[in-house]
Amino acid sequence: MQFAQLSDLVESAPIAASDIDRRALLGNWINSNPDASSIARVKVSESSGQLRVQVFAVGPDGLFDWGTTNAAVFAAGPASKVGAGFACTFNFEFGEARLQGMIMKGLLVLAQFHLFKDDRVDYFLREYFAMTHELFGQ
Amino acid sequence: MTSTDKLLGRWINTNHETRGIAECTVAQDGDGISVKIVGVGEDGLIQWPVAKAIPLANVEEEAGQRTSALLATFDLGFMRAETHIRINKGVFVLVLFVTFLDDSGRANYVNREFFYRHA
Repeated sequence: MQFAQLSDLVESAPIAASDIDRRALLGNWINSNPDASSIARVKVSESSGQLRVQVFAVGPDGLFDWGTTNAAVFAAGPASKVGAGFACTFNFEFGEARLQGMIMKGLLVLAQFHLFKDDRVDYFLREYFAMTHELFGQ
Repeated sequence: MTSTDKLLGRWINTNHETRGIAECTVAQDGDGISVKIVGVGEDGLIQWPVAKAIPLANVEEEAGQRTSALLATFDLGFMRAETHIRINKGVFVLVLFVTFLDDSGRANYVNREFFYRHA
């Protein structure tokens, strides 16, 4: 088994992408910052075993639906079946937005890499999202 | 304009018992930025291939103004590590999204490690 760091030298039964438990990732995630001017909501779903991510960004006249794209699932370690993150890319005519999400203490920490084809400066943004739920509802 | 100055240098893992990445060096490489990673091996350190980095303006609130983040992909043949790097309160934070390209049956995974600046 090849490895580039000792932590990748693991002995476990083979783990297929479909074996990874995605439950911690699935749901509707809202930006913890009500004053955000970037991504407002992220919907993570699953269809035929494929993780799907839909993004709603803040626009001048309401939310702007980026659409839905496939995402790669990442576990918590090379021998883990616990889903801990995802990565996906949204392509636009003017550039692309690469997203890397990871779950930390129940929050979705979303790293965003906005790369432009025009003369705008590429930028990085990291924001926190909470999963909407009804547990504390009256 | 972005400033990558705060990222340049040699960074050592804060966890001296790490079985992952021992150190990371960010260097000016002509007009670009290169990132070199050294992994912990069984019988010594493992040099990863040097990766070119994409510098991005870091606009997250806690980063303050005039800082940068880096996006770098390491292709080792049997695995690919898509990383991003940033400084948070003086700590060098490396996040890796590792994808195995071999048939080893290992799960693709995400990991985060912290580094301090080598004096």
